[in-house]
Amino acid sequence: MSHPQVLFARRRPGQTVSLETYLQEGGYQALGGAVGKQAPAALRKLVLDSGLRGRGGAGFPTGQKWSFFPADAPGPKYLVCNCDEMEPGTYKDRELLVADPHALVEGMALAAYALGVTHGYVFVRYDYEDVFRALERAVAEAHGAGFLGERILGTDFGFELHVHGSAGRYILGEETSLLNGLEGVRPNPRLRPPFPAQRGLFGRPTTVQNVETLCNVPHIALHGAEWFKGLALTPGEAGTKLFGLSGHLNRTECFELPMGVPLREVVEVHGGGVRQGRRFKACLPGGASTPYLTAAHLDVPMDFGNLDRAGSRLGTAGVTVFDERTCMVAATLNLLTFFARESCGWCTPCRDGLPYVCYLLERFERGQAGREELALLKAQPAFINQSFCALAQGAMGPLEGLLRHFEQELLDHVTRGGCPFGGA
Amino acid sequence: MDAKLEQDIRAEFEPQIRACAHPQELVVHLLRAIQREHGWVPDEGVELAARLLGLQPIQVEEVATFYDKIYRRPVGRRVIHVCDSICCWSRGEQEIRAHLEARLGIRLGETTPDGVFTLLPTCCLGACGRAPAMQVGFRLYGELTPDRVDRILDEERRAAGQGDPP
Amino acid sequence: MPTLTIDEREVSVPAGASVLEAAEALGITVPHFCYHKALGAVGACRLCAVEIQAGPQHGLRMACLVEARDGMVVSTTAPAATGMRRAVIEYLMLNHPHDCPVCDEGGECQLQDMTVAGGHGVRRYRGKKRTFPNQELGPFVEQEMNRCIQCYRCVRTYRDYAGGHDFGVLGVRQRVAYGRFRPGRLESPYSGNLVDVCPTGVFTDKTVRFRARVWDMQCAPSVCPHCSLGCATWPWARYRELLRVSGREGPRTNGFFLCDRGRFGSGHANHPDRPRTPRLDGRELGWPEALEALRERLTKLTWAHGPGAVGLLTSGRASLESARALGLLGQALGGAPVVCEPHPRRDRAVRALVAELGQLGRDQEDVRQSDCLLLAGLDPEGEAPMLALAARQAVRRGARAAVWDPRPDRLPFPARRIARLPEALLEALARPDGRAPDGLEAAERESYAETRAALQAAERPVLLGGADLLGPRGVRLLLAAARALSRPGRACGLSLALPGPDSFGGALLCPDGPDADELLAGIEAGRVRALVCLEADPLSEHPDPARVAAALGRLELLVVLDHLPTASAARAHAVLPTTAAAEMDGAFVNHAGRLQGFARVYSAGLPIRVTGQGAHPPREFRPDTPGELPQPGWAVLAALAGEPVELGELRAELARSEPRLAGLAGLVAGGPGVQLALEPSARERPDTPAEPGVAEGELALLSVEALFGSEPLSARAAPVAGVASEDALALCPADAARLGLGEGEPARLRSALGEAVLPVRLAPGLAPGFALVQRRFGGPLEGFAPGGGPIACRIEKGGAR
Repeated sequence: MSHPQVLFARRRPGQTVSLETYLQEGGYQALGGAVGKQAPAALRKLVLDSGLRGRGGAGFPTGQKWSFFPADAPGPKYLVCNCDEMEPGTYKDRELLVADPHALVEGMALAAYALGVTHGYVFVRYDYEDVFRALERAVAEAHGAGFLGERILGTDFGFELHVHGSAGRYILGEETSLLNGLEGVRPNPRLRPPFPAQRGLFGRPTTVQNVETLCNVPHIALHGAEWFKGLALTPGEAGTKLFGLSGHLNRTECFELPMGVPLREVVEVHGGGVRQGRRFKACLPGGASTPYLTAAHLDVPMDFGNLDRAGSRLGTAGVTVFDERTCMVAATLNLLTFFARESCGWCTPCRDGLPYVCYLLERFERGQAGREELALLKAQPAFINQSFCALAQGAMGPLEGLLRHFEQELLDHVTRGGCPFGGA
Repeated sequence: MDAKLEQDIRAEFEPQIRACAHPQELVVHLLRAIQREHGWVPDEGVELAARLLGLQPIQVEEVATFYDKIYRRPVGRRVIHVCDSICCWSRGEQEIRAHLEARLGIRLGETTPDGVFTLLPTCCLGACGRAPAMQVGFRLYGELTPDRVDRILDEERRAAGQGDPP
Repeated sequence: MPTLTIDEREVSVPAGASVLEAAEALGITVPHFCYHKALGAVGACRLCAVEIQAGPQHGLRMACLVEARDGMVVSTTAPAATGMRRAVIEYLMLNHPHDCPVCDEGGECQLQDMTVAGGHGVRRYRGKKRTFPNQELGPFVEQEMNRCIQCYRCVRTYRDYAGGHDFGVLGVRQRVAYGRFRPGRLESPYSGNLVDVCPTGVFTDKTVRFRARVWDMQCAPSVCPHCSLGCATWPWARYRELLRVSGREGPRTNGFFLCDRGRFGSGHANHPDRPRTPRLDGRELGWPEALEALRERLTKLTWAHGPGAVGLLTSGRASLESARALGLLGQALGGAPVVCEPHPRRDRAVRALVAELGQLGRDQEDVRQSDCLLLAGLDPEGEAPMLALAARQAVRRGARAAVWDPRPDRLPFPARRIARLPEALLEALARPDGRAPDGLEAAERESYAETRAALQAAERPVLLGGADLLGPRGVRLLLAAARALSRPGRACGLSLALPGPDSFGGALLCPDGPDADELLAGIEAGRVRALVCLEADPLSEHPDPARVAAALGRLELLVVLDHLPTASAARAHAVLPTTAAAEMDGAFVNHAGRLQGFARVYSAGLPIRVTGQGAHPPREFRPDTPGELPQPGWAVLAALAGEPVELGELRAELARSEPRLAGLAGLVAGGPGVQLALEPSARERPDTPAEPGVAEGELALLSVEALFGSEPLSARAAPVAGVASEDALALCPADAARLGLGEGEPARLRSALGEAVLPVRLAPGLAPGFALVQRRFGGPLEGFAPGGGPIACRIEKGGAR
């Protein structure tokens, strides 16, 4: 089943789109059409009307976020692109940037224009050396061609873009933590308020957006809000979505699919079905922090609203599929171990509560848990959801999914005195 | 850390620092550069970064000890980061890790006696479509099998022997 | 003023207050670790959960982070809230070593209290505990990292509040630790606050490690005697030994914190050589005999030679009541006048302040709230350490700060600096036109003009100074500048560091008596034949120790009342042991004119550690307490005058005779104290002559106080004496080069203060033309009394050290 390709339209296997190709295929037309010709406020309005929502996991409406931004305030303001893509099961931004880095440069330049920003950063995770290089090159090329720097396209608008290489920590995906990381101090999340739009990077108004979000902006600018909404299959949703497939599927690749594509199509058509002919047991629909979906959810449309209603979240749309032989307790333990390890250590529920949950899950896996442990485990999300930032709350996604859909499996660990799947 | 390295780092960073409105933002770049040249960041590296940026060593250390991939202890010439997050886990990460440990004769967190390999776990490398995956230096290897791991180790050992950068 | 309901009780709080603070106002403590009144809310520990049942927010929230709003209904006892708190305690206790029996914090541990209060009695976690190595942090603070609950209070205090730069957060996830980059002494002058702010036993007072449990100790609200700021303290004693000092909440003074001198300097009370028995002509006597004999000799001298035959000298160390009792002794002797400070220049400086201050005095809280500060001739680290901390809080809130001082800048905040003596600048500031003085460089002129403009524009400007460098003329200029910068409805305040904890009170009691030089002249002329020193040490505190020594040698009778083994006491015919502040009730008037009471913590006596040689109980049985003889200075003096009184009577007399001290009648130790109602003296302001300057080409020597080792009390406390910096002669590199001196090389220093051979320390921050030494007791610089302002000196190479 083929769907319209927007973000991946220029993608060629094993290649990175050069400036030349990008221009040939319509690149920087959106920028040229906007800068100096369209009022920044009109561009902000367009993005608001398009229904674009953040693609980094939280799904906050981008246009609304921009409407809070003091675009006309004097002094430095910053646009930061969050490419600290570290949520397990998520690799769409890498695929996108290695294929088409200029899309981000153009998206950021447009966003900067819309927001009255003159300095931008792309925050790239340590391990994405390929992305880092592709971006550095694209930035240099764009600079040389007058799409970045002072007086872009001969107008008064100027925008400098820096590529920042991080040194590895999932917490930097949290936007205020990322800002601390950029400033060169310990990247603990910041207290809100003040929100970054008021006091962000270096104390100045800042907006932080995900790679995929920003890459959508040129297309919206070129084709309009209605076109963008029309890309979605479900009402109230907009655009396409990059789905990074992983786990027990035959084809674990990244696909651009319309918002609202049913999970069944994702799994069976694009993912080629569960490998070795096994049955679908569960999946993480949007990265490690989203509650599991089960076979009962296969017809749920993959979009923000429908996944919310199904008790999960679209998140990053990194779909990790588990087959029938997977121990969901062990899978959850793996996920919680990740979150515990990536805690920044700021607040108690995250720093000490997550390791405690790991400890409890380990006891189930080892057959040391009784019903008291089950009660204890069930009590944890209410406490851990009181964490300072969303990291530990995200960790509760899979745990709550486990408790909701697989309590029997936990009980089986108790009654059998160990893992029924032969784990641990 | 030798004097040459300090010279090189100074030459690389002093112009950047001068041009930068908030030099502290370069702390991670500096630590990564020291690590690139020295393999890891010794105390003197932290102090050098602090001197160049006009910070106290503790301010640099606070940042250095936060990040996963700044090594504040000696490592081998090749650091293997084997992914243990959910996608790799679902596709045989345990088997790959066990194979690495057996082949190298070390456990996670250790360095081979010849100083070539350090084996460390890592969270998701963003190679979920190619699980199980590992990264040696900045080289990403996906779709690992024990055989493929053996070939990679041989190749990396040879390259390390020739003094190729990781 | 939002009004909300907490646990079914209504409360109105100032706008912006948190729910936690609103609950506090009702006397409801919402358990918390990371929140601290002075450090604010950061939302890290997640312990202060409350349930918000109505109002703009709903559900479980952190009380420290939610702003109190009108109509809110809050429950601190809802099951969700108590459940959350229990869970947080359980999380925090997962890795805690449970070593309370060997932990110094035991009994005063917030974590212990919360664990018990939260009902976490059974550990359900059976896994391995995380452990950390500890760091050696110097002689004051002991670290035991395993106990840590990661509330971040330590780093927020040390770095954010106090501006320390050698302490931070290390590691990540469940392995967050706090410490230095390398092991070593914590460099901040405020390092001891780690002990107070740590809610558990990670940072404890190393100087009293394993010595006592909190319930074994005596304590009472007191006032710090180690400088003139009058910070609120809790001294703690056990078995007649003053063990430690912790910070007490002093809203107008220290807030919550203390400097390390105040915290760790209390050991003087335990000094082994401290006078403990009345001594006359080398013989130890009981009180009645000693007092009888001295009264007789003093009376005889007065009869024979008139009341002028007896000199009376006190210092800023003595309590207000003791200083008054000295005055009463003078009256009993027929009118012998009191000299209130052994250093005449300091004396005149303090009197100038007290005479003219009026309502311009500003305390630490005023400084914290100021929006523009000028530090003119003040080195807070040596003279009044907490004043720097107060100024830092102002700067953190956005206040501008300027410094006019030739000494190197050691302030924990940024400030615009003019590296010159402040006199000429202050004189200019005091003039109506405010024109910059001649001889400034262009940048300095600009800086001066900017500072003046900022002070004029500010809403709450404060001028800070030090009596030692400014001297009487400088103090008058500072006062004149403050007046010139004041306008109706908006005063420019003034905060001056004085030599001792009751310098202000002492000067208040004798506004126009003779100074120490007049006293010495009297001795030299043979008019004064006896001298009574009340907690004053002229040999160490007068700028001409040789002259003092000669003068003391001429006396027929030198009586020293003190609790310190001073140089003057060693020369005395009679030594009468007095009590230290922690051993008596009394009052001090602080630098800003606030009268504050302190209470007796314990009764003086030889520590059982001494009498029992470490064993307890002591095996000697006797009806008295060994070493119990020291008496409050006022009591000794009243007895000497033949008119023994009770403290209450003395205070009542004082309140009657000096209306400005009327507040003394109802003074309560531990209370807020009383701001004295001061009127500027109606007398014409004397035109203080300029001091003799230093000739062109000569170096001007400044002898100043250091954080440790200079102040007479703490200098005699073991842990502090151990960290006093080495004696050295600081020169700016250009002057050192001109003299052919390099770092560490020996130089011979000659001045009116004395002569010494000292290693040279290059101080790039020191203004050219100055030489700087820090007085240290027990070394070659003991006689280099601070307070003299710049004096001529000669420096040459070499000399054996």
